[in-house]
Amino acid sequence: MKMFDPTTRRTGPPTLRLAPRPASLAGLRLGLVDNRKVNARPILEKIAERLAARHGTRVAVWNTKRSPSHEIDEPAVGALMGDADLVISGVGD
Amino acid sequence: MDDVEHAADPAALIEAYHHAGWTDGLPVVPPSDASVAAMLAGAGLRGDEVVGEIPGRNAMVTAESLAINAVMAGCRPEYAPVVVAAVESLCHPDFAYHGPASSTGGSAMVLVVNGPIARALGINSGHNAFGQGHRANAAIGRAVRLVMMNALNTRPGFLDRATFGHPGKYSFCFAEREDAPWGPFHVSRGFAPEDSTVTLYASNTLCQVYNQLASTPEPILLCYADALYNLGSPNVYGFNQGLVVMGFEHADVMRAAGWTRRDVQTFLVEHCRRRVADLKRAGRLPGPLHPDDETTWRYGFDSPDDVLLVCAGGAGSWSAVLPGWGKKWTRAITTRIREGATR
Repeated sequence: MKMFDPTTRRTGPPTLRLAPRPASLAGLRLGLVDNRKVNARPILEKIAERLAARHGTRVAVWNTKRSPSHEIDEPAVGALMGDADLVISGVGD
Repeated sequence: MDDVEHAADPAALIEAYHHAGWTDGLPVVPPSDASVAAMLAGAGLRGDEVVGEIPGRNAMVTAESLAINAVMAGCRPEYAPVVVAAVESLCHPDFAYHGPASSTGGSAMVLVVNGPIARALGINSGHNAFGQGHRANAAIGRAVRLVMMNALNTRPGFLDRATFGHPGKYSFCFAEREDAPWGPFHVSRGFAPEDSTVTLYASNTLCQVYNQLASTPEPILLCYADALYNLGSPNVYGFNQGLVVMGFEHADVMRAAGWTRRDVQTFLVEHCRRRVADLKRAGRLPGPLHPDDETTWRYGFDSPDDVLLVCAGGAGSWSAVLPGWGKKWTRAITTRIREGATR
């Protein structure tokens, strides 16, 4: 008797990989993703404010998702990859 | 497939599936080469075909994984086309899988089956339509949840972050009664009467509504409206969908009064509402109270089409309402079932 694996395993090389980790937060360009929950934007603004005060970061990209349930769209991914060094996504329930 | 050898004892194999983390907590039917092949034949698919993908999750469902999960859930091969259509609905971009599958709201994936296949498979639409005792209802709904857990990696505590979850997360599948006063639900969604369809709808709440005295539509529907839009509803910001499953005794009242599907939907749009003042007092809307909040309303629906009206259930003065998950963060998806045909 044998077991059947009910998961779907992708074959080939992984299609997702982590971005390189920055050595320091100093002067980094922030990307902020607002998921449209009620408190997401205030939380992101406060985090950005504190990071700027402590590490000299600046907000380079603001993205607002279609809804919390929808994925970020490809142009926004491109903007974050090109113009941001650090991305923070808000939850904000 | 893993060629893991196990003892010939079926109980040991069942335990091995539990140990692997591949079950919903109940014992599964261990698949075999023959049962998986039969399930694929029932679906009319090759094992390597992709049934659907979830954008942004790097996750997909192959026909083989669907077939394995369907066997594990206890499906007969002829159920496979329903499971395929339900999984296609899960993967539809407008369903927006991430929210209803992973939210703290812990939605059940409600499957409503319409058309000739419902009768052919014995999918219950009558007494105890949401309950136990009918294999097709139990196994089809369970197969969809196992696909979510195993193929789409939506496991409790990981990508399923439900605060409470919902008993319907084990399985939630029923058919519409064929004697609905205003024609089949799937026809109202643009399909032909001879089509078979499955509608996927995310809901974290099931509220049974009792009204045994009213003999006109309005009092009955006021009870529905109250249940659909209570103060604790996640959807107080409005513009949601809601599923109304009308029992046939209530449906007979609508029929006798000459009310159409549209009449019922429109009444519910107009009466699913709360005063802004009440929502603020309950902490569901921010900000201080203003005098005009007492006379300003928030509505649950912005269109009659947002009220999904289905008939089911047995004798008794009951109906059921199932408020949706989120705002327009997910939409019910109806998919035509292709019975045993190669795509």
